[in-house]
Amino acid sequence: MQTHIISLLVEDHPGVLTRMSGMFTQRGINITSLTVSPCEKEGLSRMTVAIKGSESELEKVRKQISNLIEVIKVVNLGKKDAIVRDLCLLRVHVKDSGARSEVMQLAESYGAKIVDAALDSVTLELTEEPERINRFVDLMRHFGVKQLYRTGVTAIGIGAGLER
Amino acid sequence: MTREKLSGAEIVVEELKTEGVEVAFGIPGGVLLDLYDVLDREEAIRHILMRHEQCAAHAADGYARVLGKTGVCIATSGPGATNLVTGLTNANMDSSPVVALTGQVPTSVIGTNAFQEASTFTITMPITKHNFLVKRTEDLPKVIHNAFYIANTGRKGVVLVDLPKDILAGEAKVNLHPKETFAGYKPNIKPNQVQIKRVVEILAKAERPLILAGGGVISAGATEELRHLAEFLGAPVITTLMGKGAIPENHPFCLGMAGMHGQVYANRAINECDALLALGTRFSDRTTGWQLDQFAPDATLIQVDIDTAEINKNLPVDIPIVGDVKLALSAILALLAKKRKKKSESEWEKRIKKMHEACDSCVGDIPKEGASVSEILIKEISRILDDDAIVTTEVGQCQMFAAHYYMTRKPRTFISSGGLGTMGFGFPAAIGAKVAAPDKKVVDLAGDGSFLMTCQDLATCVENDIQVVVCIFDNRYLGMVRQWQELFYEKKYAQTGLGISPDFVKLAEAFGCYAERVEKPEELQDALNNAFDSGKPAVLDMIVGKEDKVLPMIPPGGSIIGMIGTERCKHI
Ligand SMILES: Cc1cc2nc3c(=O)[nH]c(=O)nc-3n(C[C@H](O)[C@H](O)[C@H](O)COP(=O)(O)OP(=O)(O)OC[C@H]3O[C@@H](n4cnc5c(N)ncnc54)[C@H](O)[C@@H]3O)c2cc1C
Ligand SMILES: Cc1ncc(C[n+]2csc(CCOP(=O)(O)OP(=O)(O)O)c2C)c(N)n1
Repeated sequence: MQTHIISLLVEDHPGVLTRMSGMFTQRGINITSLTVSPCEKEGLSRMTVAIKGSESELEKVRKQISNLIEVIKVVNLGKKDAIVRDLCLLRVHVKDSGARSEVMQLAESYGAKIVDAALDSVTLELTEEPERINRFVDLMRHFGVKQLYRTGVTAIGIGAGLER
Repeated sequence: MTREKLSGAEIVVEELKTEGVEVAFGIPGGVLLDLYDVLDREEAIRHILMRHEQCAAHAADGYARVLGKTGVCIATSGPGATNLVTGLTNANMDSSPVVALTGQVPTSVIGTNAFQEASTFTITMPITKHNFLVKRTEDLPKVIHNAFYIANTGRKGVVLVDLPKDILAGEAKVNLHPKETFAGYKPNIKPNQVQIKRVVEILAKAERPLILAGGGVISAGATEELRHLAEFLGAPVITTLMGKGAIPENHPFCLGMAGMHGQVYANRAINECDALLALGTRFSDRTTGWQLDQFAPDATLIQVDIDTAEINKNLPVDIPIVGDVKLALSAILALLAKKRKKKSESEWEKRIKKMHEACDSCVGDIPKEGASVSEILIKEISRILDDDAIVTTEVGQCQMFAAHYYMTRKPRTFISSGGLGTMGFGFPAAIGAKVAAPDKKVVDLAGDGSFLMTCQDLATCVENDIQVVVCIFDNRYLGMVRQWQELFYEKKYAQTGLGISPDFVKLAEAFGCYAERVEKPEELQDALNNAFDSGKPAVLDMIVGKEDKVLPMIPPGGSIIGMIGTERCKHI
């Protein structure tokens, strides 16, 4: 099953999130990630929803969501025409100085920042495409991931094309 | 008004008047005292006190279906609001325009399990087109205006406004009657002309065109356009349950209702056509059967619907048109008239006429050979009632007998719970219908099981002189379920017998209604006349065959051409 990203421009009201997520619940679709935040327009928020499902299933929910009165705009963001980012914070176990320098080297090659350090761990931050984060996290598992936090994806269309 | 400020309750009532509300169905409660205090003084709005909130919602729904105008129901917080839920779900499923006003506990205690608190806003979110929880008195004008605007535009539906006690009691200086709407609500009205052209090309070429008319045609008031197009094309018209009445069923091109409990020839036409124009229908499984590849296998499918989300939802179509069906039909007709003359009678038309003569609801009052008592009674009712009379139905066999054998001659005169299939709908809907059209005869075709679910509102009829006639098809069974048990569960009638209680005649008389028992179909004419002449709401307890079956039907999982129980159908 493919991952799809939908970007919504919605009114910033209580209940909008419930209404939107209810559409997925009714169809039994699991939301893989969800971000909600203010946007360039006052009184509106932007939601970025990632779901796994078939193209046709996605199309059906997308249309139902556009019907919601508090949803101003729905855009389906394909991989090719969007910049997609996820932010990850992870605390990695380092058993000795060898492990520590290996972790730090790998972090550097992935562009991850060290945001905190302790005797037996380092905490890293990486903002990247979700797939690259997956790979980075997999690497870090060799050392031992103590804690992992991800914000979920946010995405923006490339160029002016998507902003009607 | 000379006062600077108005109370929330006054604002609500002012806005209701501006929206043209003349009737509201409801029951008061603690948090609604302010609203009722104002409402009671207001002469422009008639409030009908119901005996159950579910009935208030159904009555508002029935009222809306008869007039096309938004129905209004009112309930208090907590149990009042939860009692509305079935009725609102029903209305929304059938795209009926209803605005519900509910009381709510004061904003300061929302979310604390306050006395009679229920989260009406979250409970009704998935069963309404939209809902509001009002947090400031000054928001009321915009909210009420938009509630009505949203309910009765685009794909119509239910809008609920939850009104906390302090918002109704509080005062604010407001500008009444705002025109402002919401940016995210832009109902699709105008069909795309390029798509219209494509459709016209297909229709002009089609040798065996067929029109499937759904509830959207009635809702849009497009029945005249539909008839013109059918006549111009020489295309038969079949309907869904919700579309019953979109074309007069005695029109020679009408083949009645299609689907699971539809007419054999309506379904056969689906199988034979080469172009299917679906108008304002959502292709429910009751219409299509369960084997979608057998639904119109040779046809180019065209779907006209105002709701984008309905396009390709249940059935993939070849050409979609998103927009109002009345506008779409006018555009199609205009273009078609330019493109070709009306054809002389085709082979297809000749076949349609034969099919029409074999269609049960189209041939009028003659019951078929070997007819069940239920069938004979419906045909009698169909014969006795005039073209303007309104029938509502409960749910079950009575409803399907009515769909099958009642000849509907005008739109908005056949009112039934289609999408939700709510037992208990027909009677309160009849109350709403009678209030909407006091000069018309209104008859509820009821199963005994269904009627018992909402019969307490006989009191409402008596107190408010609402003269509806309830015709009970008394089989002492939950008949439709029993029929399934007979056909598909080896006659094991698990929990479908209703015993002998109550005596419906005595029950009705206890409420102060006119009542009569009809033991034989021959007695019906007199009994109905007595009922209409009684000057009271009336109940006729019609004894029907305990094991009457409504046939033919598509068995579960079957296809549109796989109907069972067709032995008594004419073969042509
Ligand atoms: C016991 C039982 C048996 C049943 N058996 C059958 C059966 O045999 N056959 C059958 O057909 N039904 C049957 N039904 C009813 C069925 O469940 C559905 O309610 C019905 O088929 C839906 O009708 P519809 O497709 O016309 O859509 P509706 O529910 O009436 O919806 C209207 C459609 O039109 C669209 N629309 C609304 N306004 C406009 C407009 N202005 N312009 C364009 N489009 C518009 C809407 O978006 C929607 O898609 C049965 C129900 C029960 C309870
Ligand atoms: C509120 C509700 N509960 C249960 C059902 C399931 N159901 C569908 S038809 C039916 C039997 C209806 O019996 P009755 O009203 O006596 O009508 P009949 O079929 O006998 O004509 C039942 C129980 C329903 N549709 N609605």
